[in-house]
Amino acid sequence: MAGSLKGANIFYIFSDAVRSIRENLATTVLTALTLGFSLSIFAVFVFVFFNMRSVINSWGDRTQIVAYVLDSTEAPQAMRDAIMRVPGVSSAEFVSREKALGELKEELKGHEAILEGVDENPLPASFEIRVAGSYKDPAVLTTVAERLKAIPWVEDVQYSREWVEKLSAFFRFIELVALFIGVFLAGATIFIISNTIRLTVYARREEIEIMSLVGASDSFIRVPFFIEGVLQGIIGGLLALAILAGGRLLLLSKIPPYFSFVVSSPVPVPLLALILVGTGVVMGVAGCLISMGRFLKA
Amino acid sequence: MIQLFHITKSFEGAFALTDISLKIDKGEFLFITGPSGAGKSTLLNIIFGSEQPTEGQIILDGRNYFKIPRSEVAILRRRIGFVFQDFKLLPARTVFDNVALSLKVMGVGPREVRNRVLRMLSFVKLQHRANFKAMSLSGGEQQRVAIARALVKEPAIILADEPTGNLDPALSIETLELFKEVNSRGTTVVVASHDKNLIERFGRRVVRLEDGRLASDGR
Repeated sequence: MAGSLKGANIFYIFSDAVRSIRENLATTVLTALTLGFSLSIFAVFVFVFFNMRSVINSWGDRTQIVAYVLDSTEAPQAMRDAIMRVPGVSSAEFVSREKALGELKEELKGHEAILEGVDENPLPASFEIRVAGSYKDPAVLTTVAERLKAIPWVEDVQYSREWVEKLSAFFRFIELVALFIGVFLAGATIFIISNTIRLTVYARREEIEIMSLVGASDSFIRVPFFIEGVLQGIIGGLLALAILAGGRLLLLSKIPPYFSFVVSSPVPVPLLALILVGTGVVMGVAGCLISMGRFLKA
Repeated sequence: MIQLFHITKSFEGAFALTDISLKIDKGEFLFITGPSGAGKSTLLNIIFGSEQPTEGQIILDGRNYFKIPRSEVAILRRRIGFVFQDFKLLPARTVFDNVALSLKVMGVGPREVRNRVLRMLSFVKLQHRANFKAMSLSGGEQQRVAIARALVKEPAIILADEPTGNLDPALSIETLELFKEVNSRGTTVVVASHDKNLIERFGRRVVRLEDGRLASDGR
């Protein structure tokens, strides 16, 4: 780059940046608004995607296998240890015969008559077993179930293979759709922002040309645009944060509480602010410098 | 100081300049004349580095260029004051700011910028317009702002493309007197003009271009 930045130059560059922001207030605000809205739209998508994914994950984390055990001499703890040794098992919870009966009674509340005449507890003890990541790979679930069945004191194993397979397929489908929408949205966001910035720089191409003709170094011309890009990025990022916060408040009052997880932030708010402002600054600066590069080379 | 060797410039097959060789000494005052489209502006632009020759070489201050490298263009331009035919002023900035720009890019301190710009504005009789926006000025006034911007940095070379095109005869003579005075202090001056009367009045070296070729060179 021609010419070094001396003290007087730095003073001029900064006063130039301040002046040009004042002179181009309308376009600065417009660019910041575009940045803010585009970023917030993309952020809403990311929110919904991550929140949906964690919900689907939690479905998959529910009990997947129930192993009924024979009345045996084995202590529940020993049986549990044996089950936990089966590869792929992430947790196992013992349900005693009494507990099972209690749960049944709870479920039949109001229809207790059904159980009249049942003197002895007919229910077996069981283990509720979870398998790590099984909703993603139904084959693992089958293997685990077969190994459990091979244990002598296990009377029977129940699991819903079909349900897990459906969930797995549904999850893969959702991820694919989300990826598609995500790429599309990211593309649209970048396109809108880069075009807005290109237009604002294009409107000032004469200024860039004249500066260069009177002997301004590339850095002398670039730095004010750089500072403006940073400023627009910060304003745009904060604006996106404000839009998201406002939109969330508005939605929370309109949707049922059990659905409110969809609009909660997947990351802590300060981190979210940092991501939004950071993305805004990177886009603002990159957009300015790339657009200018073409005028400077000319 | 400026030497051109066999400079040729073509635009999409059409020749704007053909085989121009020219030597301009330090401190010389030179007119380039010729009809419209003869290549006067192109020649000035090539010396200024804002256009590249298709063929030929340039020696500027003892340095030999085929094409002036981009990294040197900014430094070179600070030593050359160019008065553009279309002025190239920043329309929304004040007269003061427009003139000050050419000092600011050189890193001159604010106080010195102020003193030199105000002195230059009174030199071109525009001190009362210092705080007017460039776009609010008449064509003649804008031309004088452009001249002030070129002169204020006390350049080694002045290149002026039809600097009197928008001026009445009295002001044209005054402007050239201005250049003469700067020239008497050692600045090399190259003026492109098709104003015969003016050129004859000043009786300096005249290079005449016709159809992009050097037609004559003399007084």
